[in-house]
Amino acid sequence: MTWLLIILCGVITFLIRFIPLSGIISSDLPLFVKESFKYIPLAVLTPIIVSDLSIIENKNLFLIDNFKLYAAFIAILVALIWNNVLVTISIGMASFLILSNF
Amino acid sequence: MKKWQIFKQGVLEELPIQLGVFPFGIIYGVMAIESGLTFFQALLMSSIIFGGASQIAFVQLLSNSTPFGVIVTTVGAINSRHLLYSISMVEYLNKLSVSWRVMLAYLLTDEAYAVSIRKFINHSENPILHYHLLGSGITLFVSWQISTLFGVLIGNDLPEFLDLQFIIPLTFIAIIVPMIKSKSTLITVITAGISALIFKNLDINFWIILSGLFGILAGIFISKLDKKL
Repeated sequence: MTWLLIILCGVITFLIRFIPLSGIISSDLPLFVKESFKYIPLAVLTPIIVSDLSIIENKNLFLIDNFKLYAAFIAILVALIWNNVLVTISIGMASFLILSNF
Repeated sequence: MKKWQIFKQGVLEELPIQLGVFPFGIIYGVMAIESGLTFFQALLMSSIIFGGASQIAFVQLLSNSTPFGVIVTTVGAINSRHLLYSISMVEYLNKLSVSWRVMLAYLLTDEAYAVSIRKFINHSENPILHYHLLGSGITLFVSWQISTLFGVLIGNDLPEFLDLQFIIPLTFIAIIVPMIKSKSTLITVITAGISALIFKNLDINFWIILSGLFGILAGIFISKLDKKL
């Protein structure tokens, strides 16, 4: 079943890249549709980030001593300053390790 | 310029970006093994889907027993921006044969597009520029496969004390923070984030998609409001 899922995702990703080039449909999308595309990656990735930070655990708000949340804030600052994937991940991970071990 | 020279130019211009791509591929490989995929599933996903952020989201969601419909929709949504890349390439590639267009569409990822589109815009009269995209695309493809292999191979040998799952939100933070360039994109992130907290807590199966929709609508709304003011 996992294989089927991987292949299905692969086919969909390929079609997204191929359909305009195929000439099957007109590639003249209305402007507001084109504009809305810039929001999609942000809108889908943010819920995954929020969910991974365990802000709500067993229906309770978990903010104090939530080291993942603290480290995420540090990572956001690092990303704003350096705009480098590897630096952001390294400092975020190091912050989490330091905070949760001391 | 000959075809081979243009191809080589694409390769050479793509190479420096691999400093950022390679670690990302390793992270994907490690996470894929951590999430329970087999060696071949983890490795071949990199050539079947060939889309970094969407592959990492895939393994994260799979390890959390997310419904398959949500995984497919999320992967599609993350890669939906490639539709715009493809649209912007139509005027340069529409004279090519179907097999060329299939191959270039497969290789049309963020990093290859970023390197080659500048070439297309500045030299639109050149009829063999697709070799540039072929060069940048193949370079990225090879680098992505090798880095995935590295990640998959070391995936099982990492120390237990590292909470590797935490790399996923960190990676996504590194991806989205530079994309927040306006009030409307910031509102999208805040709305999608708060919606996710609410909908996930309500045990709604499609909470990711629903939160995303709210985020997109809020972003469009703010952008329209700003234009009117």
